[in-house]
Amino acid sequence: MLKIISLTTIVLLSSCSSVDDLYKKVLPKPRTVTIEDRTENTQENIIKVDQSSFQSQGFSRSGVNTSNIVESVVVADFRNTDVSFILYFSYDGTKIDEDSIKQIIKHADFMRNNPALNLRLEGHADERGSREYNLALGENRALSVKEILGLYDLSSRVEVISLGEEKPVLQQHDEGAWQKNRRVEFVYQ
Amino acid sequence: MRQFIVFVLSLYTSLTWAVLEVTILKQDENVFPIVISDFSVVGDANQGKIIAHVMRDNFNRSGKFSASSANYVINNKPNFDKWKAKKIEAIVLGKLEKISKKVFNVEIELLDVYSNKILYKDKFAVHNSGIRRIAHYLSDQIYHALLGERGSFDTRLAYITVTNKGKGEREYRLEISDSDAQNPQTILKSKEPVLSPVWSPDQNKIAYVSFRNARSEVFIQYPFVRRKTQKLPYFDGIASAPSWHPNGKSLLLTLSKNGNKDIYSYQLASKKLTRLTTDVGIDTEASYSPEGDKIVFTSNRSGQVQVYIKDLKTSKINRATFKGRYNAKAVFSPNGKSLAMVHRVGKDYRIALLDIATKDLTIMTNNQLDESPFFSPNGGMIIFATNKGNSGVLSVVSILDRQTFELASKAGEVREPNWSHYLK
Repeated sequence: MLKIISLTTIVLLSSCSSVDDLYKKVLPKPRTVTIEDRTENTQENIIKVDQSSFQSQGFSRSGVNTSNIVESVVVADFRNTDVSFILYFSYDGTKIDEDSIKQIIKHADFMRNNPALNLRLEGHADERGSREYNLALGENRALSVKEILGLYDLSSRVEVISLGEEKPVLQQHDEGAWQKNRRVEFVYQ
Repeated sequence: MRQFIVFVLSLYTSLTWAVLEVTILKQDENVFPIVISDFSVVGDANQGKIIAHVMRDNFNRSGKFSASSANYVINNKPNFDKWKAKKIEAIVLGKLEKISKKVFNVEIELLDVYSNKILYKDKFAVHNSGIRRIAHYLSDQIYHALLGERGSFDTRLAYITVTNKGKGEREYRLEISDSDAQNPQTILKSKEPVLSPVWSPDQNKIAYVSFRNARSEVFIQYPFVRRKTQKLPYFDGIASAPSWHPNGKSLLLTLSKNGNKDIYSYQLASKKLTRLTTDVGIDTEASYSPEGDKIVFTSNRSGQVQVYIKDLKTSKINRATFKGRYNAKAVFSPNGKSLAMVHRVGKDYRIALLDIATKDLTIMTNNQLDESPFFSPNGGMIIFATNKGNSGVLSVVSILDRQTFELASKAGEVREPNWSHYLK
């Protein structure tokens, strides 16, 4: 527990003097949400139907099925708001800036409203430096995002993977491309 | 027809001269000048001609020899005085004879120009498919006879190639080849990234990282026997950067259990994990010293990416690199005294050699994006990959004279070459 707090402090220290200040200034206070509470939300009823269809189909989350279609509608609606599904990072950096924190909070709210959805955070790096180091760096970026979602008790629904420098968005070998490639992508499942 | 033969002969002569010109450029006091004559051929055995050619290339790349061909095929007794005048110190000559549809007899002799003595002589029956292998084997024999140390020619490479298939799709291949990058064979094709291939010390296995299950996992493949590829267990988080212990019984891995990227050793038989680093920074790209008593790894614990050595007996960790703001992916030389690594110079990534005791750092290459250095088993050369424009290049640089030779250039990218130990 101590470790989580200290890491969060490192991530956010640039803008705030303490974690308490930070909650007051930037973050709405994390809520504990139980599964029973969630089912009463109308939006979630749709998802609940989903979950039963998952079970009847032997829990195939990646396969094409009706549940995915319903999910994608919910996620597509969310995507149409002014939320970012990709966060960018500085060279060799894992720090989350204030704008990114605001985006992450939107995702936290979305996840609390849609308790059947799980999130995969995919961390990426630009091509500079060795492949194995970049694989580690990509994971650290995704973990920085997960730390903040963890403040909302969402950790158990967040999966982190790293693709290192292996899946660049842009192939060019210049700063413009590198900026776009140093990123964490939000993928709902 | 006669005209055609004359044409072929003159072309042949000019090729020979081209080789000699290169030789003259390279001649310095450290280089051992030798002649490797084309083998004399009895009957229809032209396929065997490649042997002398492969051997000359091997010797010239080693950085320790300049190997030329004679302008003619040397039979039996060469004119030693003539070669002495040309400052040639040793002569290799050979004979090829076809004894059945696919089998040749190969005879070879190594002669010392000064003592007129035979330094090495042998005779083999070789199957058609073994022509290149025998050329590498004979290169090692002659290298040893002349220098008293082992050559690295009869060995193999493993590396990754990547080609664009259009529509954003890429094809990753794990290839193995002879030590001169010839005779390449694809042992794995994948649409998902494949990384970090490493030969096991017994040459029978290759460990690598694959994203086939959408995350980095470590696999062990058996390229020469029908045996199922083995996946290491799921360790929670990333599993990557495999590297074998010299005894072949365990692997070093980078794992991110609890999110912290550290080096672990994984015992294959007992499946036991031992954590070797604990820093909160990134620790990765570990490999063993030749004796297995130390590991070298990359870490950003100082705030910069640098190379560290952990002594496994004392558990002490010392920073190895102090020159430059970026040093990574280091490997021990076979004698354990130096490290090869990627070193950043300005905006360029180059291969550098570090003397561990004196901390002297020598930059070995002068490209922009050199990656993944690895020593030949005798420590005489370093192989590395470079990507230039739309092609990937595998090159070797000799330790002695820092000469770089391109082994192969392929469309797309070439990555992460790894050199096997000696073949059995």
